[in-house]
Amino acid sequence: MTGAHFDYHEPTSIAEAVELAARFGDEARFLAGGTDLLIQIQRGRIAPRHVIGLHRVPGLTGVETNGRIVLGGGVTHRTIERTPAFGGALRGLVEGAEVIGGHQVRNVGTVAGNIVNASPAADLVPVLLALDADVTLAGTRGERTLSLERFLLGPGHTDRHPDELLTAVTMPGLPARSATAFLKAGRRKAMEISVACVAARLTLDAAGERCLAARIALGAVAPTTVRVHAAERALEGQPLTAEALRRAGALAAEAAQPISDVRASAGFRRHLVSVLVPRALHRCLERARGQA
Amino acid sequence: MKVTVSLNVNGEAWELSIEADRTLLDVLRTELMLTGTKTNCLEAECGVCTVLVDGMAVNSCTVLAVTAQGRQITTIEGLARDGELHPLQQAFIDRGAVQCGYCIPGMILSAKAFLDEHPSPTDGQIREALAGNLCRCTGYQKIVDAVQDAARVLRRERRR
Amino acid sequence: MSELRTVGKRVPRVDARAKVTGTAVFAADFSLPGTLHGRIVRSTEPHARLVVIDTRRAAALPGVRAVITAADIPDVRYGGALKDETVFANDRVRYVGQPIAALAATSQAAAEAAAAAIEVRYEPLPAVFDVEAAMAPGAPLLHPDWETYTAIPLLKREGNVCNRARIVAGDVERGFEEADRIFEHRYTTAMVHQGYTEARAALASWDGSGQLTVWSNTQLPFEVQNTLAEILQVPPGKIRVVVTAIGGGFGGKLRVGVEHFAALLAKKAGRPVKILTTTEEELVASYPRQSTVIDLRTGVTKDGRIVAKQGRIVFDTGAFAGSGPGVASVATLVLAGPYRIPNLLIEGLAIYTNKTNCGSYRAPSGPQASFAVESQMDEIADALGLDPLELRLRNIVRDGDEGPTGQVLSSVGLEECLERAAAAIGWGERRPAPGRGKGIACGWWTTTGGSSGVYVKLNADGSVALSTGAAEIGSAALTGAAQILAEELGIDVADITLVSADTFATPFDFGAQGSRTAFAVGNACRIAAAEVRRQLFALASRELGVSEDRLALGERHVSGGGERIALADLARIANQTGGGIIAHGTFIAPPTPYDEKRVEAHVYPAFHSPSFHAHAVDLSVDPETGDVEIHRYVVAQDVGRAINPTYIEGQIEGGVAQGLGQALSEEIVYRDGRVLNPNLTDYKMPTAVDVPRVESILVEHPSVVGPYGAKGVGEPPNIEPPAAVANAIAAATGVRIRSLPITAEKIVTREASACR
Repeated sequence: MTGAHFDYHEPTSIAEAVELAARFGDEARFLAGGTDLLIQIQRGRIAPRHVIGLHRVPGLTGVETNGRIVLGGGVTHRTIERTPAFGGALRGLVEGAEVIGGHQVRNVGTVAGNIVNASPAADLVPVLLALDADVTLAGTRGERTLSLERFLLGPGHTDRHPDELLTAVTMPGLPARSATAFLKAGRRKAMEISVACVAARLTLDAAGERCLAARIALGAVAPTTVRVHAAERALEGQPLTAEALRRAGALAAEAAQPISDVRASAGFRRHLVSVLVPRALHRCLERARGQA
Repeated sequence: MKVTVSLNVNGEAWELSIEADRTLLDVLRTELMLTGTKTNCLEAECGVCTVLVDGMAVNSCTVLAVTAQGRQITTIEGLARDGELHPLQQAFIDRGAVQCGYCIPGMILSAKAFLDEHPSPTDGQIREALAGNLCRCTGYQKIVDAVQDAARVLRRERRR
Repeated sequence: MSELRTVGKRVPRVDARAKVTGTAVFAADFSLPGTLHGRIVRSTEPHARLVVIDTRRAAALPGVRAVITAADIPDVRYGGALKDETVFANDRVRYVGQPIAALAATSQAAAEAAAAAIEVRYEPLPAVFDVEAAMAPGAPLLHPDWETYTAIPLLKREGNVCNRARIVAGDVERGFEEADRIFEHRYTTAMVHQGYTEARAALASWDGSGQLTVWSNTQLPFEVQNTLAEILQVPPGKIRVVVTAIGGGFGGKLRVGVEHFAALLAKKAGRPVKILTTTEEELVASYPRQSTVIDLRTGVTKDGRIVAKQGRIVFDTGAFAGSGPGVASVATLVLAGPYRIPNLLIEGLAIYTNKTNCGSYRAPSGPQASFAVESQMDEIADALGLDPLELRLRNIVRDGDEGPTGQVLSSVGLEECLERAAAAIGWGERRPAPGRGKGIACGWWTTTGGSSGVYVKLNADGSVALSTGAAEIGSAALTGAAQILAEELGIDVADITLVSADTFATPFDFGAQGSRTAFAVGNACRIAAAEVRRQLFALASRELGVSEDRLALGERHVSGGGERIALADLARIANQTGGGIIAHGTFIAPPTPYDEKRVEAHVYPAFHSPSFHAHAVDLSVDPETGDVEIHRYVVAQDVGRAINPTYIEGQIEGGVAQGLGQALSEEIVYRDGRVLNPNLTDYKMPTAVDVPRVESILVEHPSVVGPYGAKGVGEPPNIEPPAAVANAIAAATGVRIRSLPITAEKIVTREASACR
């Protein structure tokens, strides 16, 4: 028993799902894996009157890896971990997914849930930010697509309208000599909400020396998971020396706006950013060069 | 709101009329009296409530029973066949991997789902697979050893 | 000793099959028809006058069957050494989480709704949250009437100090004068929780005759029976406590937990009431391990002999004394350490603050005091340019030495433990690489006394029923006791059925605490077995016509003089002619002599059949992130005699895992009297990937008292991990962290290392 009293709806199409959501507005919540939603209900943080289960809605669990990358909103962390196409340049996706909770959570938790829950410490979301992800939302007034970065507004807060369902995440395919990496710090080696986490992506020039494109995204050090553009700009067009990576870390740490809480102090979080960013970039560098 | 739910638990079909907000854990323990599935944190942190849904381990404390409709649910009570223990259960006994025993049903079910997918695991892989199941008694070592033993037995059985 | 058949063998535990099939019934699983859901309503203020508790609206809600507050129950103060606690807050609340009302309803949801409908108004009082503030002159008093409370007379109390225990030996000031170097350090440790996976739970039911039965996951059914009698004002003979399977205890389930609320509600409602605490309640209002502040001043000669030690360990016991006075006493023995020190002045204080009432957690006081003592040993060694192992070997106790309170030590396996742990970890290379280091720590611990009784009965089929008042909390101690019984009777453990922990059916037992169960129950089994043998031989002698002195027991038969008769036949004959074969075995450890002049206000002046242990760890620290990776962990423990090596290893592996949690990740964090992390997301117990493989070395220096030489084994593995880890981290990084837990953040920011 969750202690909540809600009506349960089980639509069988996206249209029906958003129709229900539109009808009940703020009183409704979509239910996918439930690993965040049910905890929030049981802790009394939210008390929806209507829960709209997405288990029978088709078209949400697809994974597309030819050219652009598309993850249906209902794709589970488990699926990401087991998608062979994510073994190479997109390994950061697997690294972000495989550290979420225990395997019981990853077996049911979804991409859309991780995004819409809008935890500043979400592990997968920085990777998606580093991959320039767009989110597609279906609503009663049709579909819209916007960048993930613009979609995230604050802790627990996104640009999603009450009637909208996050149906897919789309990322452009990576050019050659690109790689991703994800690193996190926490007090334990598993089952951790990140104290700080970092996702990075690099694209190298043909010589494997100079940076053509860089993306750096952080978790748990700002009101949302964030990209640090200043650090990215400092790398692009530059040779990827150890000093350059360190400088990117310093810029990222400067851009971070961490808080102090029971898990860590703001100062330590900032410090971790300055350490993890160069390490994640270094991993990207090694991986990108390794492809050649 | 009451809903009618058909559940298949350990091969038995159940038709239940329950409130929609009830978790699978709650329904297993209080409607079906299958108390082998344990209750503790109710926040998907400790893993004592782990059951298998279509062969996949889930925390039954954060799954609504209504969403398990039409799926195959396995609890610890469904693991032994005709009184013969599953190799994991036997290995947990033989290795001394059981102390207080409260985490053990969930632990064994997590291990089963894992071994079904990874018949020849390393110790490190086993530890990662069981990270969502807290045990406060054993320090996990004899549990890891038991899972390795069971993996060997299961590989032998598969070859036969 | 002749070859043993069962003792020392890796026999599977007797309850294993029930536990792997999910059929073992735990308290959380247990219910009766018509059982109501009980819930406790708790204070939201750390210190306040209770102005109003209005339960009328709650009582009128649908499904609510009983609501009780202090006004509805006998006005009783109860407690252990100090009776300072009441069931509900009466005129004032003293911590966030203190019970102020309880209610029972037909569903969990109805109980929740009723709890929310209880109106409470507070008038805040000045609160005190740390021990030093609480000891300061003019500090707000938690218990203004403390002088009127009943307490055992030897406690030394004053205001917020609810005991000040002392060991005084030699002349500590003269000792410091003899010292070449004096080292002074302060260490602190955080509050931590036992972390049992099954929360405290109880179901209470009264029958028409006024008899109460309580099913509970308590470690101490007889203690609960007596406390319930006191609280309910009902004779103990009317109170039956039955222990279910227990999902871990580690000391957190010693004292009455929710049994009294269930019993009071069941009485009022006239129906069975069950209470299962939530994880939040566990982390806010249970009996966790006290946080401590420890000051140590140690004088040594140039060649590394300790000549004087002055120490003070201050326990934050929370709003009530709980285990505090006793734990503060035990702590002084750990703080003195397993060392020969001629001049000692050691104090243990238990202090009231506006926090949850702390209790006992596996080796109460051990990890905190050991962290200080053994960290400082390394600091001294480094300062003297001595190897830390060598410094210990120059000071440890050996056979014939005196303990800190004058007890004469025998069968001391400490040197062997240190040598073997050091050899196994490769001590010769203490800093094998940059960022990598090894640490060692040693210690001693008690095998708690108290009496145990068992009944041993021969069943009609020749199998044996063992009835004990001790509860099985998971350690397999009762499997160990069964092994001892099997050995003595020449049968297999599989021939023994176990009946455990029912205050009406089983004999008294002091309880599953203090590493005593296998030790004391095992000895009671030996006594009972001797009596069973006597009865069997008397009967067999008559049946076989063979004199008793020629008879022997084995293979489920009594045999001799070329004749033999099955135990089943003897049981059948005895049942038909003499009321069956049954024996009552009892045991209490003999008192351990000590020098009474050395102790003051001390409730635990000597360690009985002490165990000795050394832990060694090899780890790396990431200097930038502070991440600690443990490569190897070795424990050498003097267990006296290993009754069942498998489960002793299990105790060691599990105790180390818990100890590593306290060392590196666990803490209940308070701010202004409120717990900031009352959930398992932020109370961070080690997972399977956080715990290394532990290598156990079982050292056997037999106790003269323990069965087959056994010493207590359950608690010790929990003691040394924080110290061993702190020492290894210091070796790896040069950073000495003097506060637990040693988080990555502390390592990176070098917190608490300033006074180096």
